[in-house]
Amino acid sequence: MPHSPELRRQIEDLALRLVVEDSTTGMPAAAWIPALERIRDSALREQAGRVSAAATAILDRMRRDGESPDQENGRIASVFEEGIIRLQQALDLEKQPVAVNDLPLSQDPELLSDFILESREHLASIEAQVLTIERDPRDAEALNSVFRGFHTIKGLAGFLELWEVQKLAHEVETVLDLARNSQLTLTPAAIDVILQGADYLRRWVAHLDLSLQKQPSDPPPRDEPLLARIHSLSGRPSGPPPAPAELAAMAVAVETLPPEEAPEASANPAAPAHAARRNETMAVKVDTAKLDYLVDMAGEMVIAESLVRHDAELGALKSQKLQRKIAQLTRITAELQKTAMAMRLVPIGPLFSRMARLVRDLARQFGKRVEMETHGDEIELDRNIVEELADPLMHMVRNALDHGLETPEERQASGKNPTARLLLKAQHQAGQVVIEIADDGRGLNRERIQSKAIEKGLIASGDGLTDAEIYNLIFLPGFSTAAEVTNVSGRGVGMDVVRRHIEKLRGRIEIRSTRGSGSTFLLKLPLTLAIIDGLVVGVGEERYIVPLFAVREMFRPAQETIWTVQQRGEMALVRGGLLPVLRLYRRFHVTPRSEDPLQSVLVVAEVEGQRFCLLVDELIGKQEVVIKTLGEMFRNVPGVAGGAILGDGRVGLILDVDRLFKEKPGDASR
Amino acid sequence: MPSTMLSMNEPAAASQADARAGKYLTFQLANEEFGIRVLKVREIMGLQEITAVPQTPAHVKGVINLRGKVVPVIDLRLKFGVATAEYTQRTCIIVTQVQGESGSVLMGIIVDGVSEVLNLTAAEIEDTPDFGEAVAGQYLLGMAKVKGKVKILLDIDRVLSTQDLHNLNTIVH
Repeated sequence: MPHSPELRRQIEDLALRLVVEDSTTGMPAAAWIPALERIRDSALREQAGRVSAAATAILDRMRRDGESPDQENGRIASVFEEGIIRLQQALDLEKQPVAVNDLPLSQDPELLSDFILESREHLASIEAQVLTIERDPRDAEALNSVFRGFHTIKGLAGFLELWEVQKLAHEVETVLDLARNSQLTLTPAAIDVILQGADYLRRWVAHLDLSLQKQPSDPPPRDEPLLARIHSLSGRPSGPPPAPAELAAMAVAVETLPPEEAPEASANPAAPAHAARRNETMAVKVDTAKLDYLVDMAGEMVIAESLVRHDAELGALKSQKLQRKIAQLTRITAELQKTAMAMRLVPIGPLFSRMARLVRDLARQFGKRVEMETHGDEIELDRNIVEELADPLMHMVRNALDHGLETPEERQASGKNPTARLLLKAQHQAGQVVIEIADDGRGLNRERIQSKAIEKGLIASGDGLTDAEIYNLIFLPGFSTAAEVTNVSGRGVGMDVVRRHIEKLRGRIEIRSTRGSGSTFLLKLPLTLAIIDGLVVGVGEERYIVPLFAVREMFRPAQETIWTVQQRGEMALVRGGLLPVLRLYRRFHVTPRSEDPLQSVLVVAEVEGQRFCLLVDELIGKQEVVIKTLGEMFRNVPGVAGGAILGDGRVGLILDVDRLFKEKPGDASR
Repeated sequence: MPSTMLSMNEPAAASQADARAGKYLTFQLANEEFGIRVLKVREIMGLQEITAVPQTPAHVKGVINLRGKVVPVIDLRLKFGVATAEYTQRTCIIVTQVQGESGSVLMGIIVDGVSEVLNLTAAEIEDTPDFGEAVAGQYLLGMAKVKGKVKILLDIDRVLSTQDLHNLNTIVH
């Protein structure tokens, strides 16, 4: 939108005057008002909405301040100074082209994505804190934290002209303020309303996110019933919504105050708030590409260090001093690599907190009484894993509340505490992270699972199957024991999807259950998706990495181990069972050192419960490798999952055991 | 292709040639001199051990480790269908930065040897004559005549287009 230089000149004149006039002694507010009014009028004439809104806001503020005679002029000057900065910002924004959609400020993707990021953080913390308040309504610290969350979102939304967001945040903030001043008690119903408010904001944030990615998305409609509910809490009549200009004024007004001194700040001085703020500033947001680069470099350093350490010429020196220095270097490089890898890890706590909300809502919905407990919130996992874990975890928590836990009456009848317990626990175990979802409900019902499985034709009979085998049937596609479809479990997501999710993360899932006293689901996950333990094998001149999680055993076959079936497939006799054999050199068209199986090694691998043998020339060793993508050029090479830098600096290919097994040589040539 | 390189009498389109002027790294392949924009070159390295990737076309030699990054390497002789030759002391890998489907990617090309960096003016660059079907004209930016010698200027983005590889893949399988 083009603007006459007139508007800019007026604003600059004003800024200049502010500098020229001595701002400490200052002048009365009235002296500034005419100039501001002129700016507002020109802005209105030129339809520079942002500038006129900002000007109006400052005018309002100055008039308000001017009415109280004991106001210091210095303060007015500082308000005014900020106002000028805002005017200039507004003018700069006006100059940029306006996108023709419902996002007036979408022309600044950076601001918007900051808003999205920050709002998400605030919403997550709001949710956690609201649940704390529900448990203990007198927790002033939690209340303040929720207030600040809404308050900040409101301020940011005002700046970005997201009026709907700002309005709702403002309304909720009003309710929270009443609660802070002990004029309102937060009943569970009130908590519901606050949470719904947060949900509404989250929908907006999701919409903004989609719009930012240029994907079609409609803004969430104004939720009048919700607003009415909020109003009924704050005791305000649900009057006509304030005009955008008014809201802009509000935003400017509140934003000029530091969050701790928010309007009508409560009696509770915010010592914990200071702590929280300090925490925020101690975290740095870093582009993941930079992190990846750091990890690459650390990996290279480890390789270079190892080349130096094993250098024959240096070794020939037999210098103790040199050895000590190299040992020191080794320690430092190893530490560096570990640190670099750890930077990708995030604590699982926030994910657990998200479940707390789910548990609360579902418990209310099902009329069950549940207390959720979490352990090991500080355990860290790869960011991607934590993100991917959300769906399966949510599903299992739903299942636990829907099917696993009894109603308070049922529990009382069977002599249990009417309040059920749900435990989410994370811990390290043998280089993996184990996540436990444990309830003290009725436990899995072997008979029901068994009869259901027979009815669905999944098994012929349950005879001879262990409890564990029966329980594992619930992971089969098309299995569901829910007697009736509730709106919670009727979403078409079954335990098979949960298992697939977990396996995609290279994890495993196990069930433990005791009839009448509860069931426990154990998720065993790798710490990170960036590293795997690999078995390095050699075929001819090539070396491949077999992911160790898929390897069951390896051995050198004897004469009678390998059998040819109908001159086509080869089978190996392993522990009394026949397993198909895949000669890796044939699949990859590599010249092996020997075609004689007796000179080769069989690696027994397992894919989704099925085993097969890989025939390779030799085993080279076990190595922890950083997984690297082979890039878009090789994204679809059958049987290869990625690459890794081996100890000597060369690239080794990581085998995709799953596809090697599933795509027989015949179908590989699709 | 080699035999057809000599006749170049077409007038250069001045406007296009302007954009093509600049620094080029020249290298040899078979008996030809080729040039690629210096801006596209990330580094030049001696031949090193290449890890073969199974079930890929012959000109895709495999992958190397470039300071922790896995970079694919193409044998340009095989890619252009020129007779293969033994790798020598002069054989090297030019690591280029090309436009992939999702941003820029690093890719190595094996050439017989690098020559020099030339600063080519618009006047020295001419359009590629139409060689007909036999020559892969879409890979060429143009021709340069320097001191009586002809340099073939490659559009390396097109040469190393991965789309091309995927097509080849579907033919192979």
